Amino acid sequence: MRILPTTLALALVLPAALAGQARYGLTLGATGGTRLVTDRIFQDIEITQGLAPTVTLSASLPVSERERGGIEVALGFGKTRIKESGFPTVDGPDFKTLSITGGVQGPIISTLGWRFGAGLLKYLPEKEGIFRSGGPLLLILSGGADYRLPIRGPVGVVARLRYDYQRFNTDELQSSGFGRTQDVHRLGLGLGIEYQRP
Amino acid sequence: MIPRSRLLLGATFVALAAALACSDMVSPTRGTRYDWRLIVDYDSAGPRLDTLSFHWPRNRLPVRIWVEDSLELPSRVREGIALWKGALLYGEWDGVLVSDSATADVIVRLTQPPPQIPIRLAGRVLSCSGATDVDTVGTRFELAVPVRAYIFPTIPGAADLTQCLRTVAAHELGHTLGLFQHSSDSLDLMFSEPTARFLTERDVGTITNAYHFTADMFPVGP
Repeated sequence: MRILPTTLALALVLPAALAGQARYGLTLGATGGTRLVTDRIFQDIEITQGLAPTVTLSASLPVSERERGGIEVALGFGKTRIKESGFPTVDGPDFKTLSITGGVQGPIISTLGWRFGAGLLKYLPEKEGIFRSGGPLLLILSGGADYRLPIRGPVGVVARLRYDYQRFNTDELQSSGFGRTQDVHRLGLGLGIEYQRP
Repeated sequence: MIPRSRLLLGATFVALAAALACSDMVSPTRGTRYDWRLIVDYDSAGPRLDTLSFHWPRNRLPVRIWVEDSLELPSRVREGIALWKGALLYGEWDGVLVSDSATADVIVRLTQPPPQIPIRLAGRVLSCSGATDVDTVGTRFELAVPVRAYIFPTIPGAADLTQCLRTVAAHELGHTLGLFQHSSDSLDLMFSEPTARFLTERDVGTITNAYHFTADMFPVGP
């Protein structure tokens, strides 16, 4: 029974103690991914996603001499395309994603670092189409690399490459009778600034 | 030299992703439907029947709908637009009300239909009725635009008139979308004497099939 208070105390004290080395970041970029839906109504239909402008906020703290633990929150604004045999390819419904991942990061060489993480992603509700009711909370696994370039004092520029994997589905697709989920792999590139408290 | 712990973490991640990455979505069968196609007589080599399908092409969306502003008919038609639009997953159809009937693809009047034209799809409920005229312009592969629909009360001031107009407006709108036949199931909105307030699974299956079936007819005009 003493575990919970101890954990809570540590959770409160540790970040405060390490706050001096906290690192915060903001990046803007684009995320692309593999197809979202395959369907068949007389002929094959494929819903693909275009490059989605993405805003990412991040924060991390040291967890060891070389590694840091942190979170990344990303908001993406995506568009879809509908490809159907015998019909012209057209724009499909737009969508928004919100994801939060916790992860570990560390150096590879010099200013280049790695990051692995896991978290949750949600497709937010839209007015119509397959995203009308949004989606369930999806587990995502992510990995990538960061390149940091100090500019002045605690401020630096960061370039981020991120890959993530999810098993896509939405409430509307489920209620329409779609079975199983669609593997979706995404790759994103972002550029932004970081601030590290001295 | 990369530390072993980091290699292990990376390998675990790759293994997890590889293990999970083996699933594709399975689409529903959508076999629940009734025939929506227009059956017309033609006599190029003696009287024959032809079965034709129509749906609004993407480049004609949103379909422009003019509605007579009486008995809150525009609101009933808006509800019908939302109903049919919501039935389709991929934005296959969309409709919008317009103020100028001269530019409309569909005209909805609150009046009894004029004398019978060759192809009329009529729906009837107790306190109101409706009809949609389909004009194939001589060559059976064209649909004359605007498509004209008529909705009118048969018992003025009836207590259920609002609900009746809602049902009949959605039903006639279904005809203008390309559902050129009635369902034989009394539960469906596209039954000839509809009482449904929502689309049934058969209605949704039928409109979905209609919008992914190659069209034989194309809208012409205005």
